[in-house]
Amino acid sequence: MTLTTRTTVLGSTVLGLLLATAPASAERILRADEVAVGEIDPAKGTDYADTVLAINLYDTLVYPKQGGAGVQPHLATDWTIDGASYTFNLRDDVKFNSGNALTAADVAYTFERMMAMGQGNSSLFAGVVDSVEATGDHTVVFTLSKPFAPFLATLIRMPIVDMATVKANEKDGDWASTWMSQNSAGSGPYMITSHDPQTETVLSYEADYFIEPVENFPETVRFRYGLEPATVRALMGRGEHDISSQWLPPEVYAGLAQDGASLVTEAGLTGEYFKLNTQRAPLDDVHCRRALAYAFDYATMAQLTQINDNTSTSKPMTGAIPQGLTGYDASLPVFQQDMALAKEELGKCQYDPADHPLDVVFIAETPARERGALMMQAIYSTLGFKVDITRTPWALLTEQVTAPATAPHVVEIAISAASPDTDSLLYAMYHSSQPPTWISSSYYKNADLDALLDKGRVESDPDARQALYADANAILADTVPDIYAYELLSPFAVRDGVTYHNLADPARTYPVSGFNMRFADISVSE
Amino acid sequence: MTIFRRLLLRLGTSLIVLVGVSMLIFCIARVIPGDPARIALGPRATTEQVEQMREALHLNEPLVVQYGLFMRDLARGDLGISLYSKRPVMTDLAEYLPATLELVLLAGLMMVVFGLPLGALSARYRGRWPDHLIRVFSLLTVSAPAFVWAVGLVLVFAYFLPLFPITGRIADTLNIPHLTGFMLIDTLAAGRIDGFISALHHMILPAFALALSGIGQASRLTRSNMISTYEHPSIEMAQAYGFSEARIAQRYAFRPSLIPSLTIIGLDFAALLGNAFLVEIIFAWPGLSRYGVGVILQKDLNAIVGTVLIISATFLIANIIVDFLVSVINPRIRLSENGK
Repeated sequence: MTLTTRTTVLGSTVLGLLLATAPASAERILRADEVAVGEIDPAKGTDYADTVLAINLYDTLVYPKQGGAGVQPHLATDWTIDGASYTFNLRDDVKFNSGNALTAADVAYTFERMMAMGQGNSSLFAGVVDSVEATGDHTVVFTLSKPFAPFLATLIRMPIVDMATVKANEKDGDWASTWMSQNSAGSGPYMITSHDPQTETVLSYEADYFIEPVENFPETVRFRYGLEPATVRALMGRGEHDISSQWLPPEVYAGLAQDGASLVTEAGLTGEYFKLNTQRAPLDDVHCRRALAYAFDYATMAQLTQINDNTSTSKPMTGAIPQGLTGYDASLPVFQQDMALAKEELGKCQYDPADHPLDVVFIAETPARERGALMMQAIYSTLGFKVDITRTPWALLTEQVTAPATAPHVVEIAISAASPDTDSLLYAMYHSSQPPTWISSSYYKNADLDALLDKGRVESDPDARQALYADANAILADTVPDIYAYELLSPFAVRDGVTYHNLADPARTYPVSGFNMRFADISVSE
Repeated sequence: MTIFRRLLLRLGTSLIVLVGVSMLIFCIARVIPGDPARIALGPRATTEQVEQMREALHLNEPLVVQYGLFMRDLARGDLGISLYSKRPVMTDLAEYLPATLELVLLAGLMMVVFGLPLGALSARYRGRWPDHLIRVFSLLTVSAPAFVWAVGLVLVFAYFLPLFPITGRIADTLNIPHLTGFMLIDTLAAGRIDGFISALHHMILPAFALALSGIGQASRLTRSNMISTYEHPSIEMAQAYGFSEARIAQRYAFRPSLIPSLTIIGLDFAALLGNAFLVEIIFAWPGLSRYGVGVILQKDLNAIVGTVLIISATFLIANIIVDFLVSVINPRIRLSENGK
């Protein structure tokens, strides 16, 4: 045998073996990704990836309303509200993946576990609920400590766990915390096959789910974490990835679209806010804040967020409240740059801009935001401000914002409503009782606004709430604790052959960030 | 001093170094800005919840007490729960360390297999075109960081020429029982040759990207050492005896030149453990370096200390092995340590 022949035979053998190990399954698989690590215990998760996992592994009593505002029945078929008492009737045909029937006792146990662990979304219920009682197999009563109008909407953040399975895996009173970070105990359309929090979660479809999946739904889902943009581009180019995360640079989305991927966006009740530190000179003067807001170049910002001719990642805001939340008013004009008004307001400000340099901070982990900071630097220099831009790591920023006196003047950040209720956004951002965190980093103190937000928590009439939050919106637009740069539309690149129905059709879209990625609502080609 | 005694002595000093490292990193981790409890619980957590978690993590205790508690738990094999992955740190380390070690070992092997012969070839053909070619290659690999090579390799060998997989440690369709965490060993233990080939196939690009800089460095070092060795009178003597060029190169020039190269490769190999994170990110490799960066960004105190200790321990072990190998290659070192 000659050397050439031997080489050819060896090469063919190796190639054959490699091909033999390549995936050759006819199973419908969906591959998507998110940046952050994934948490599958619903009592611990808070962010986007955690939400996606929670809605696919678990069910909640109510769900954000498809194609509209508010909530719709899910595990609960209906409910009655009597003051501070909420009585829910549950579906009687729902089973957990374990085969156990889902009952009211599971709901009560879920609440008890969530509050005892004190992590994740438990803060949304802290101080709100007095007791949860299963009054029948399929009837559960929540008694609140006081009337709390956003309560119903907040329940989208309480995925119900299988009490029997969780209890069976408890160790030393840990509420099965360790076990639940590796396994699922839900009734959702999918269950965990394997889970590595920094690499990938593999989920498989549960055939007995009580809601019909769409045609060609994925039987297996590989939900990946922390993929680099270059890696996503290469994987999608090879047809080995189906839905990108929302965090790719605009150039990569444009490139993927050129390669044949479709781009869809999710308006998840998220605003892009430039938070102004109202406790530090010169921004403790409302006129200076107004000057910055008037000078802000909203049109250029919109151009910066344009991916291509057809897709933008932003839409203009009319106030602090994104579209889809109570208090949003479409009839209000969108913000626009007005340098004449900016100079007029600056003239009324007690501070000389030349004596007060502004420090603008953007998060180091989101480099695309530097463009917004640079735009501010260019514009505000024309007003006489010297603008220092700092790229700050997330951990450092979370520390900086805890001290208003030394926190940055401006922090650029995206903030989402935790539920389809305005309270979950405005209260955390602007109520004076809130601890100093990045959400509340304008450190706004306004007794009138506090009163409106407090009323919003007890008022249950929808029209009255609309009026309350419209008034709150007006106060915020006038006193400018933040610059309302744009409403964020999170972009996703979708591989040809995959249909992301909930984002492709506005009538099917759920209004809350992350709730659209119900894997059983996505069609994949085999 | 016997080899066994020397080994014991080195292990003892390494243990002292590790305790020092643990103290240092324990303090440094707490100086990094950010409240780990607030970061873990998020901005909507109430002040009471944050305080509750701070208590649970002993963050309100004096630093000395915190360190004492840490050492007590460490002695029990418990590094606490990671705020990043929400799992025991030990579980994370046990899962991610073998993935990185396996990658780094292959990269180290590539450094030796490609770097040393290239250097020897370069020295052997000094001033001629193979030398020029290898020197340009070495310079390129040393001057560009590993992640640049990683992206380049993905583009060329996975995107334009789809010869290699881009992500993961093994084909998705293969299910290999976890035994050691080293995929090459686990596949063989399971009798899955197809799995072994798939795992190797998945490792080649990331390991090569990681190794390239080391290959260049080893090549340059070996070349310069061999060139100085060639100028030694002993080589002239060998030539006078009429030994073949190949024998002279292999026995009298290459072997003495190995010592500094091997030392550098050993240090490079250990450094790869910490430096692999960008390569691990690009290839979505579920390794320890990527984990280490993630936990630092999240100010996950337990996981930071655990990761640094593991990397330090590996570094120290690699150094001991290199010292041992060098003393085997160079009898003078062995004899001087024995006081002869």
